[in-house]
Amino acid sequence: MTRWIATGLRTGIKTTRFPAPAGLGDDGAPSAVACHWRRLTPATALAAAALCPTTAITATGSATSGELHFDLGACVLCGRCVREFPQVFAPVPDPRVAVRERGRLALHLRWDPGHPPAPAPLAQAAAVVRARAARLFRRSLHIRHVDAGSCNGCESELQMLSTPYVDLHRLGIFFTPTPRHADVLLVTGVVTRNMEAALRATYAAMPSPKLVLAAGVCAVGGGSFAGGPMTQGPLDRCLPVDVYIPGCPPTPQALLHGLLLAMERAEDVPSPGTEGDDGP
Amino acid sequence: MSSSLRALAEAAGLRPVPVADDELHAHCPEEEFTDRVAALAGPGVLADLFATTAIHRQARLTAVLQLPGDVSWLVVDTTLRGGAFQSLTPAVHAASWYEREIREMHGLEPTGHPAPAPLRLHAWPAGPPPMGTGDPVAHVAPMLSPPVARPTIEGQGIFQLPLGPVRSGPQEAAAFVFTSGGEDLVMVSLRLGYKFRAVERMAEGLPADRALLLAERLAGTSAFANALAFARAVERAAGVTVSPAAERTRTCLAELERVRSHFATLARLADATGLLVAGAQYGLLVEELLRAAAALTGHRYLRGSLRIGGIDASCDGPARRRLQGLVAGWARRAAGLRSLLGETSIFQDRLETTAVLEPSYADLHNLVGPSGRASGADRDSRRDHPYAAYAAARFAVPVHHGGDAAARLQVHLEEIEASLGILTQLLDGWPEAGEPVAPPQLQEGVALGWAEAPGGEALALVELDAGGRVRRWRARPPAAVNWHPFAHACRSGNNLTDFPVIEASFGLSHAEFDR
Ligand code: SF4
Ligand code: SF4
Repeated sequence: MTRWIATGLRTGIKTTRFPAPAGLGDDGAPSAVACHWRRLTPATALAAAALCPTTAITATGSATSGELHFDLGACVLCGRCVREFPQVFAPVPDPRVAVRERGRLALHLRWDPGHPPAPAPLAQAAAVVRARAARLFRRSLHIRHVDAGSCNGCESELQMLSTPYVDLHRLGIFFTPTPRHADVLLVTGVVTRNMEAALRATYAAMPSPKLVLAAGVCAVGGGSFAGGPMTQGPLDRCLPVDVYIPGCPPTPQALLHGLLLAMERAEDVPSPGTEGDDGP
Repeated sequence: MSSSLRALAEAAGLRPVPVADDELHAHCPEEEFTDRVAALAGPGVLADLFATTAIHRQARLTAVLQLPGDVSWLVVDTTLRGGAFQSLTPAVHAASWYEREIREMHGLEPTGHPAPAPLRLHAWPAGPPPMGTGDPVAHVAPMLSPPVARPTIEGQGIFQLPLGPVRSGPQEAAAFVFTSGGEDLVMVSLRLGYKFRAVERMAEGLPADRALLLAERLAGTSAFANALAFARAVERAAGVTVSPAAERTRTCLAELERVRSHFATLARLADATGLLVAGAQYGLLVEELLRAAAALTGHRYLRGSLRIGGIDASCDGPARRRLQGLVAGWARRAAGLRSLLGETSIFQDRLETTAVLEPSYADLHNLVGPSGRASGADRDSRRDHPYAAYAAARFAVPVHHGGDAAARLQVHLEEIEASLGILTQLLDGWPEAGEPVAPPQLQEGVALGWAEAPGGEALALVELDAGGRVRRWRARPPAAVNWHPFAHACRSGNNLTDFPVIEASFGLSHAEFDR
């Protein structure tokens, strides 16, 4: 046993700062794809939409005018758009991609002949602002996790949150084995027909106030399984969602950001993928 | 070779046609199918059995067989006239779960199956079967008869304890019912299938390169291997050749995935026994492997790196030297931790005689992967059916016979060393830059693809139409085989508190099983 203790001590501190130091996210994996829309033409938008395997990029129109809808909540980070159109689509190393409103993951663009592209305001009609319970959870947070039908990639990253690299406990965040002690319901995976009842029962068993986090694009927007015959679709069709964390899977740093956002210990900024800055 | 798979098939009355050097196909009439497959599954191994149903087409049954010592696969199929077929289970026990799956997913009745209860659709309302023809008139069998009563044990002090499907930590959804008399675990009943997403069905009609994304998402922790099995099936079906350089890169990435997954299994095993420092040490290694994967391919789980016809990852000068350094460091630390574990008797004591799966039982179920190799099943598709660049690598396939958690631990430890060895050998010859691959022209065809996933042999049978779209994809990942004897292993005189250890020692994926 003493040799184990010595091994532990020799390893020293491995915990990564959050957010990771400037430059690449320290785990080297992009957390999102950014659409640098000023460099986009309607023709490229159509080509990119044809290439994208999900509904993350959809476009209509002709070579001179049209519309583009870019939705990080559907992006599985396959990298195909980045490979084909590197001037327009770029990987985002910044892990702060989680948002409180689903619409903040999306970008809508319009081209009218003879005018530069303009981001169109998003229809926010359905956005219901929920009473903020988060202030209550600033100090500590107990998470109840439900796998509603994941591929286990999201669970694998959740398990990495407990390794010394992230060390969730130092931030006062814990997984709890009982819904009665839970502040947050963290859901991964597309909601399958076989899991829906258990998911709803867990939510019902949690005391109020409670928050719901959708982790991974399967939970955020259905991901690769949107429209599947055995799935009920994204989480917000079943439960009210407070924080959306895109990614397939979201990196541990992105998950951490989502949790801190839920606790109001991180700022709610638009996801870096949809800011529409001038790009690389 | 005295008795090849081909000779055996001919002796069983089949006329196998080679579709590749290592793949034979045979068709036989419905009446003969069960007997012929049973005759072959005696000396050989029934690796898969599945149905294919599509609207306006007759249902088909397909069996995949292999023979120890022969590199070939044999794919036997038959066309069904009606909605029932003669069950293979009374003759071949390993067919049992496959037939239950065929019944619930396709609505075809295995006549003579001793207990054809639903396997994954326990809460399924009556209705057309999810993988059926989609044509409500054509499906003959009723969706679900009342489930066969689960065996129950009654007695003084015997109680039942349910667990799941929502688990206590960030784990996959599954439910277990423990029957216990105080502390001993008398029986465990499994409830799987909560995560059934119909991944294979969703791939139907998609171009192969889009279906590849679904194959990568069959399971996250074995994403690369399952996608590789799929991609290889597509390539073999359409006659696409892959460059030796791409094969080498694929091999390296597959081994990276194995090492990472094995480290994760060890981390969970250490945590389950309360050896938290060891758990943290292995957890650090897992994170380092994920980061190395991201540095090489842009994705921590290697998604997006595989192409139909090639690979999109390169390891040029500096990156390769960096990876070589990392591999050497991982090998050193893995060896150090291994010797520490060996000296930690409280750890070893928890594993010895825990969840014993006797070699005879492993044989009965045709177990694959590390769990099989810990129970004497000397099978590894990297060696038995060489693919990618494995023929060029030297590696040992560890086999143990104890069948307990300690044997499974041993196999994992030794396989990590073997895989790091493969990486060391292949990294030397890793080409400077990956060549870009033009998307190949795909054509109609059917073929089998396989890859040794971290949990064992992953199979994919893909049928492409003339446009290169997927007509049928059958995925048989390792967990589809290895869950079958799990409940039996739990019965070997264990305590309730051993369950986390048992679960971790098998390291079985639910997403792979549920699909
Ligand atoms: S990376 Fe995202 S946006 Fe780009 S093609 Fe893939 S899914 Fe579509
Ligand atoms: S978001 Fe991606 S990693 Fe997470 S469950 Fe879905 S497919 Fe798997």
